[in-house]
Amino acid sequence: MSETGKSNEIGDLNLTYLLLAQRLVKEDAATAMFRLGMSRELADLLGNLSLSQIVKLASSSLFLCRFRFDDHPILSVLTDDMNSLSLQQAHAAILLSGQRVEMFQ
Amino acid sequence: MAAKSVVREAREIHLAIDLIKLGARLQFLEAETCLSRDRLISLYKEIKGVSPPKGLLPFSIDWFMTWKSNIHSSMFYNIYRFMVNHGGCTRITALIKSYQLYLEQAEQQGGEPVLDFTRAWTLVRFFDSNMLELSTCTRCTGLFVAHAHDPQSGYVCVLCRPPSRAGKSRKVNLVVPVPAPVAIRGSKTVSASQWLADVMSAPRA
Repeated sequence: MSETGKSNEIGDLNLTYLLLAQRLVKEDAATAMFRLGMSRELADLLGNLSLSQIVKLASSSLFLCRFRFDDHPILSVLTDDMNSLSLQQAHAAILLSGQRVEMFQ
Repeated sequence: MAAKSVVREAREIHLAIDLIKLGARLQFLEAETCLSRDRLISLYKEIKGVSPPKGLLPFSIDWFMTWKSNIHSSMFYNIYRFMVNHGGCTRITALIKSYQLYLEQAEQQGGEPVLDFTRAWTLVRFFDSNMLELSTCTRCTGLFVAHAHDPQSGYVCVLCRPPSRAGKSRKVNLVVPVPAPVAIRGSKTVSASQWLADVMSAPRA
C-alpha cells in the first residue's frame, strides 16, 4: 500500500476517534472519562473543540490515541490463551479502570 | 422556602426512581433519599408493579471474597473509585453511573450481573467503614477487593491464580446466587446452558 493510503487510514481513524470521544464527553462527561481513561481537563478540552479544529487535528500520519496496555506483565496476562474470553474481558476491565488517567503534565 | 422544598422533593423522587429501576431495596432508598417510607413504598409499587421485598439486606463481607463475586465486585469498585476520584461525582451519582457501566461490562462478557445494585451499595459502605480495601495483585498489578488488614505482600488476585475448582465448574457458576437486577430472561438469545441455569434456580427464588 502506498504511504498516502496508510496516512489516510490513520487520519480517518483519528477523526473517528475524536468525533466519538467528543460525543461521549458531551453526553456524560464522567462516563466518557472512564471509557477514554482521561482526566477532567483533557475531556473538557476535547468536548469543546470545534469541528474545524477536530478535522485539522485528525489529519496526521501519526495516531492520536494511545495503546492503553503499555505494560508487559499486564499484556501477557491478558493474552494468555488459558483463560476463557469472558474472564479475560473481566480482567482487562479491572486493569484498565485501575490505571492512571491521561492528563496534562 | 416552600417552593424550594418542592424542587428538592422532585429531585429526590427523580433520584429514587433511578435507584428503584436499578434494583435498590427499600433500606437503600431510605438511607440515600429524604423521602418518607410510605412514599418510597408507593413509588416502588408504581415502578416495579410489586411491593418491595421484605427482610434484611445481605450483609456478609465474605460474599465479596468468593471467586466470581470477587471478580465482579472488583470490576464495580474500580469504576466507582474512578468516578469519585476523577469524575468528580457525588457518592450517589458515582454509584449510579458506575453500576450502569458495570452492567454494561457484565453483559458484554456474556454473563449475568453477579453483583446486584443493593449489594454494590453495601460494598461501598464496607469500604467507607474500612472493613474492605483494595489489594494490588503482584502479577497483573490490578486492584482487587480484599479484607482490610489482610497482609498485602505477595497478594495474587483471583484471576491470576483462580481456585482449582473455578475453571472446572464454570457451567455451574452460571447459576448466579443472587437474583439479577435486569431481566435478561426476557431477551431473545438464551443459550441452552443459560436456560437450564434459569430453570434450576427458579424454585429457589
